[in-house]
Amino acid sequence: MAIVTVSGEPGCRTGEVARLAAQRLNYEHLSAARLDALLAEEFGEPGETPWPDKAWPAMAASVLVRLATQSNLVIGVDGAELLFEGFPALLRVRVVAHPNRRTGNVMLDDHLERPAARHQLKMRERDARQLRRLRFRRANPAPDSFDLVLNAGSFDGEPMAEMIEAAAHARALDSFGLLAPAAEAQRQFQLRLQLARYGMKPKGHAALKKAQFYHPSEQIFANLLDFYRIAWEYEPKSFPIAWDAEGRVLEAFTPDFYLPESDTYIELTTMKQSLVTKKNRKIRLLREIYPGVNIQVFYLKDLQDLVLKYGLSGVGN
Amino acid sequence: MKTPALPMIERVLLTREQIDQRLKEVAAEISAHYRNGNLKLIGVLKGSVFFLTALARELTIPVKVDFLAISHFSGEGSSTGVVRIAKDLDESIEGEDVLLVEDIVDTGFTARYLLQTLAGRGPNSIALCTMLDRTPRRIVPLQVDYCCFEIPDRFVIGCGLDFKQLYRNLDFIAVMKPDKA
Repeated sequence: MAIVTVSGEPGCRTGEVARLAAQRLNYEHLSAARLDALLAEEFGEPGETPWPDKAWPAMAASVLVRLATQSNLVIGVDGAELLFEGFPALLRVRVVAHPNRRTGNVMLDDHLERPAARHQLKMRERDARQLRRLRFRRANPAPDSFDLVLNAGSFDGEPMAEMIEAAAHARALDSFGLLAPAAEAQRQFQLRLQLARYGMKPKGHAALKKAQFYHPSEQIFANLLDFYRIAWEYEPKSFPIAWDAEGRVLEAFTPDFYLPESDTYIELTTMKQSLVTKKNRKIRLLREIYPGVNIQVFYLKDLQDLVLKYGLSGVGN
Repeated sequence: MKTPALPMIERVLLTREQIDQRLKEVAAEISAHYRNGNLKLIGVLKGSVFFLTALARELTIPVKVDFLAISHFSGEGSSTGVVRIAKDLDESIEGEDVLLVEDIVDTGFTARYLLQTLAGRGPNSIALCTMLDRTPRRIVPLQVDYCCFEIPDRFVIGCGLDFKQLYRNLDFIAVMKPDKA
C-alpha cells in the first residue's frame, strides 16, 4: 500500500498538484469532492443532519483503508495526513505559498479584483482553520506532520508533481505493495469502534471505479484534458430519463465525462448518424428532465477540429 | 464582397472593413478602461501576433508588449504530458495591468491555463481580450473581458488563424470548406 497525501494552504491549487502527482505515479487520485461522494456512498447522504465533524476522520479512514487494498492512492484532502498514523508507506506533502501568490490564484479562479481576492482568501483560510479544529482539534497543522513541504511561489504544479514523484521513489513507496486484507480488517475494527460512538457503521459500498474507455476517441479526449490539467471523471453518473407506471427506471443516460471544476458533463458522439439521432433524443430528454444539469455534446467533427488545432493526428471512427 | 479565389474557402465570414471597425471600438474601450493604468499586452505566439499588432496601433494609451508560447499536445499514448510554457515572457508582470490577447477562444483550455499561470506572477490585474470567441465550443468557464466577434461553430482562417500554418496572413476571416478542414 502506498499513500501520498497532499494538502495545502488555501489558494495554492493543491488539488492540481495532487492530480498531476497521481498521473505521474500512476496512483488513484482522490479529490475532496470524490471523497465526499464516496463517504455519501458509504454512510448515506448527510441530509438535514450533517455528519458529525468529530466522526469525519474515522469515516474517511474507513473508506480510504479499504480503497488502499485495491490501489495506491494520492489523496488531495486537507487533514488526510493525520489519517494514517503508523502506516509505513506514507508520504505526506504540504503546499504553501506567499499570500501574494495565493491571492493571484484566487483573482483568476474566482474572477475577482485583488482586494476582493484578498478578502476571499482570508475567508477560506478562516474556514479551513475552523474545519481542521472541528475535525482534528487543532486549527493549524503541525510542521512535523509532513515529510515534504513545497513552495507554490517557486514552482508550478508540474515541477511540484515531479518532486513528489521523486520523493515517493526515494522512500520506495511502490515496494510495499497494496494493503493486505488482514491489515485492513484490523484497522477497520478500530475504526468501527470509533464510529459506533456516533451511531455510524460502514456499509462497505464505496469502491473505486476505473475508467475503461469504450471508444479510442474517449481516450484522446481524456489525454487532451490531462494535457491542459483539467480534472475529469469518466461516466460517474447515470441519469434516469424514462420510467414505467410503477416508477421503475426504463431508460437512463450516462454522459461520457464529468468536469468537476466547471460542473459540466461532456458527451462524445462519434457514431453513425442513425445512432446520433437516438442519442440526441436522450440528451434532449435529459435537458428537459434535469434543467440544472449542464451537458455539452461533442461530435466527431468537433473532436477532429480540436485534434487538428492541437496537432494530433488519427482520430478514427 | 466577392469571395477570394482560394479553393479552401467556403465564404468570407468577416471582411477587413468589419474587422477594422470593430477593432477600433474595442481599442477605445480598452484605452478608456486602462487610461490610468500600467497596461501590458501579452500575445500568444503565433496566432495572436496579427491581432495584437493591429489592436496596439489603435490604442490611445502607452502600452508595453510581450509574447509567450506554449507547448502543443502531441501524442495518443496513455500519457501525453502536460502543457508547458515553451517561450516565456521577457520581463516580469508584477504590479502591471495584464491583458492577455488571443486570436480565438473556443474550448477555453489554452486561455484558462495561461490566465492561471500569469495570475500567479503578481500582476495588479489580469484580463482577457480575444479577436474571436467561438462560444459553442466552450468546455471550461472563462470570463472574456473584450471580444471583437462571436463566431459560429466553424473552422476559420485568416488574421493570424491558420490551417497547417498557412493563411495567417489573410486580412479577412474566412470559413474553411468542410471537406478541406
